[in-house]
Amino acid sequence: MEGYKVEGDTIVLNRELTSLDFFVKDFLSILKKYSGYLIVSGFVSISTGRTRGTEDIDIILPVMEKKIFGQFFDDLQKNGFWCYQGDASDEAYAYTKELHSLRFARVDEMFPNIEFISFNEKKKAKLFEFLHPQKIRIKDFEFKIPPLEFEILYKEIVLAGKKDLADAMHLRTFFSEILKEEKFKEYGPIIMGEIK
Amino acid sequence: MKKVMDDLDYVVLYAEKLKKNKDLFEQQKRLVEDQIKASSSLFKNSFGKDFKKGARKYLKEVGLTN
Repeated sequence: MEGYKVEGDTIVLNRELTSLDFFVKDFLSILKKYSGYLIVSGFVSISTGRTRGTEDIDIILPVMEKKIFGQFFDDLQKNGFWCYQGDASDEAYAYTKELHSLRFARVDEMFPNIEFISFNEKKKAKLFEFLHPQKIRIKDFEFKIPPLEFEILYKEIVLAGKKDLADAMHLRTFFSEILKEEKFKEYGPIIMGEIK
Repeated sequence: MKKVMDDLDYVVLYAEKLKKNKDLFEQQKRLVEDQIKASSSLFKNSFGKDFKKGARKYLKEVGLTN
């Protein structure tokens, strides 16, 4: 059987869930009550079969209002997560308000962790990918990633480390049948705007 | 002369095979599970009973938090 298939607007991966998937799924089940989100970077490649380790799962989202963030933070703590930056939501909010990342892991664990990356309307590339999600499904776990062409170009142009280039190559190869050249042309200038 | 395969060649080869054969996901699952188990064991042993306190001290030392 093939590694994936496309059902409507969703890419369905033909594999079993891993402990990493369950970790992300549990975190998203809480986050989704309070905000939209997008999973970006390493987990996109790993969840689609790239064989490398990872320590963090990058999630981007618009900056939350303080009250909503407080409710979200308390909900996470009640459900077995801890925040690297502190136990008080006010303390953590100070980071996210300034667009600094927060990190969350399960209680008594360091890894894997969620890198919680807030953005505002000035971050045009992040806003664009956030507004154009691609759905992925593995068994009953569905989540949102950037358009594949966007993720590939971001890794090749902005991140551009050895690991990122290998991730991009994995995505280009694994999804070669469904990638669209016109999307690469459309997304290129948006991503170039990120590094100006 | 035959070209020596580099890391990216292996990435392409693996992705091509994975595309046609989902069973290769099993190998990847084992890698993921092993990494998580090893990491969990390492940090539990390092930080002991007051895990958060030990972890935050470590994170500060390595510059991951203020």
